[in-house]
Amino acid sequence: MVDDNKRRVVITGIGVVAPNGIGKEAFWQATHQGISGIKLVRNDNVSAATWAAGSIPDFVAEDYVERKLLKRTDRMTHFAFAAMQEALADARLDIEQEQPQRVGAVIANSLGGIDYVMRQLQTLYTKGPRFVSAYTAIAWLNAANVGQAAIRYNIQGYCKTPINDAVSGLDAMGMATSALRRGAADIILTGGCEAFLHPLILQALSYQGQCATTSDLNAYRPFDRRAAGLLLAEGASICILEDYEHALRRNAPIYGEVLGYGQTSDADGLRIPSESGKYYARAMQLAMREGNVRPEDIAYVQLDGRANPSSDRGEAAALRVALGNELARIPLSVPRTTIGHAYAAAGAIDTATALLALKHGCIPPTINCEDPDPNYDDLDLVRDRARAMNERRVVLIGARGIGGANTVLALKKGS
Amino acid sequence: MTEAGPRPPRRVAITGLGVVAPNGIGKEAFWHACISGLSGIRSITRFDASALPSRIAGEVTDFAPAQLGLTPDEYQHVDRGTQFAIAAANLAMMDAGLADPLSEEERERTGVYIGAVMACAEEGEGIWRELTDNGTRQFAPLDTAMISASLLMPHASAACIAAHHHLHGPSMVIATGCSAGADAIGQAYWAIQEERVDRMLAGGADSAISPLGVDVFCVMGALSTRFNEEPQRASRPYDALRDGFVMAEGAAVLLLEDLALARARGAHIYAEIIAFTSNSNAHHMTALPANGAPLQQLLRQAMQEADIEQQQLDYINSHGSSTPPNELAETAAYKAVFGDYAYQIPISATKSMIGHTQGAASAIEAAVTALALDQQIIPPTLNQEQSDPACDLDYVPGRARPTRIDVALTHSSGFGGVNSALIFARPDWTQQHGR
Repeated sequence: MVDDNKRRVVITGIGVVAPNGIGKEAFWQATHQGISGIKLVRNDNVSAATWAAGSIPDFVAEDYVERKLLKRTDRMTHFAFAAMQEALADARLDIEQEQPQRVGAVIANSLGGIDYVMRQLQTLYTKGPRFVSAYTAIAWLNAANVGQAAIRYNIQGYCKTPINDAVSGLDAMGMATSALRRGAADIILTGGCEAFLHPLILQALSYQGQCATTSDLNAYRPFDRRAAGLLLAEGASICILEDYEHALRRNAPIYGEVLGYGQTSDADGLRIPSESGKYYARAMQLAMREGNVRPEDIAYVQLDGRANPSSDRGEAAALRVALGNELARIPLSVPRTTIGHAYAAAGAIDTATALLALKHGCIPPTINCEDPDPNYDDLDLVRDRARAMNERRVVLIGARGIGGANTVLALKKGS
Repeated sequence: MTEAGPRPPRRVAITGLGVVAPNGIGKEAFWHACISGLSGIRSITRFDASALPSRIAGEVTDFAPAQLGLTPDEYQHVDRGTQFAIAAANLAMMDAGLADPLSEEERERTGVYIGAVMACAEEGEGIWRELTDNGTRQFAPLDTAMISASLLMPHASAACIAAHHHLHGPSMVIATGCSAGADAIGQAYWAIQEERVDRMLAGGADSAISPLGVDVFCVMGALSTRFNEEPQRASRPYDALRDGFVMAEGAAVLLLEDLALARARGAHIYAEIIAFTSNSNAHHMTALPANGAPLQQLLRQAMQEADIEQQQLDYINSHGSSTPPNELAETAAYKAVFGDYAYQIPISATKSMIGHTQGAASAIEAAVTALALDQQIIPPTLNQEQSDPACDLDYVPGRARPTRIDVALTHSSGFGGVNSALIFARPDWTQQHGR
């Protein structure tokens, strides 16, 4: 990199809305105990059976969003608002005391405000164009989340909306880190949100081989002989990324530091992550090189764990290349098995998980992998039960998406 | 690191341009249309728009994907916006003289960032209509035959470009409203500066001229309704009769490259990027405040980053969307920032010719800005017929203007409140100024 003296980026606050817990405490309690948030979801408007997915039926949007705005925004934004509110409080950040131009927001999302736009489509085609809500575009389009966040918190700085399938939440962390290191901001509310558990979406993604459609609540089984795809989820997470000096000046609590970010592409078209781990390994190496991380520094790796047999093979191959002989001594886990895959929110929730794991010195488990595939006997997957972390202080988080993107983030435990 | 301390960041050149626009496909046709003042706006043909108050759009016509290098798999199985993106990327690669396959190492160090606002919306609407019979029944079960490769994949444009050219560097889509294309270019500029990559294909693409895509802006009152019978007069930024933007579709992709690398291979350099800056209104989801305060701040910050004085700015390619409040805010911001010099800077709005191509808009405008520097001609703003007393600057009305341009700025104000600016300079200007 250009400058060894560049600004350092730390995480000072976390907010989570997840299927197994709303709020970071509830989420961590469930996740580290391997308690699943997968439920059966159904929609009476659709002639389809029930599906197992990580839904959040007990989320009360009114607790986070004022009534007038509620009707002009979608569930994805409500999740983001809840996560932001918690993260700001957790960071003990009085945002009104900050220079608004030095505060930013990077919030990833994939499919936009699905509920909102589907209701308006119904209106458009059955009642007519004049009856469509004037707020449709601003509720539906992906930029709604940063736009509403900016208005709510008077955020006048760097704001971006990455879209990158299942990896965009981690990409958000990488983008915000770059912006902070360059001095484009002091604080960036960073994360992702997704609210796409509509039966049409479930069906379409299932046909594309992206997810399993089943009523088996334990169907998300990465690295298991029965691996047959992931389960979808909804949710959000926001982390407060902050310039280290700025965090020190205001005596902020520091969860950890972003050491490195690597992104590559398999460039093999719109298909599920391949069994070649070549470019995923490169993403790991890029993140490690940027952060001066050696394999022997790594406390555990939080995997993508897509639970498609070919994708899992690719992930194992990448780990073998990037971590070499040290791999045998590095615990691995897919804590996301407790909640399902929330696409743009996933990388952000995974980041929160890793930071909480570092804080508590505890590696949360992978659940449902009861019949491990012997092809992965060389991988030390933390199964069923949490494991105490050793003295190492770095976590790698990996994610892969349809279309070939591989993103890896390296985090280090904070002071 | 050596003891000499940090090296200055790498410099970034624009060495390839690919455009798919309503008034021309390919750099030559598009640029000829722009300097001739040819509009690409007409009555909507992509669907029956008779029930809508705005029935005009900038549609891309004569799009021949096979001729633009798309494979049958691409033009049969991915959505129209993604096809535009792939075509624009192919054009940019050829224009940059990179038609011959790059080495594996080069491909590992080349990535793709694309801006989009309504990616996959048209396809999503189509499948919703099929499954519900236009909303008249419960969802029917999906049939595999209905599912295209890119359905529900708003990131498809970046992924498909990467796949087409086997580019293994970073790829993603950025969806910051109307500034999305500029943001993709700006982020790509950063990625090259930060030495993550050596080259990037960066731009924007969108196609959503569908009942939903147009109506969501009609119900906001954002679209022009006054000129349905004279489509080419509808997009009229700064004119007193402007009454909203005109929906459009298109794509532009730029090949950005480490300047040293571009020079070493003798590439034609359209321009060097000397600043990217971005901020947020924190005011309203779709509008700047009347004094354009966030835009004022953006312009100042961009000039500071480029390390130029205001008198060094020779041209502004504006957001100029043809909505009454936008051009008031823009003009107010120009006056606040530049003072008397605001009256001397030529300003023109590409949207007057092609409408608002959504996520592609600011990328197409970046291409125009690069071409203006390269060709030393400023394309006009069309439809300046009845002057708005509040918009009294030099908007280059009607006719292209050959002039000396060393440094030019393009800015956009997005849906969701994001504003972004890019500043480009002529390569010999940067050399003369010891950069």
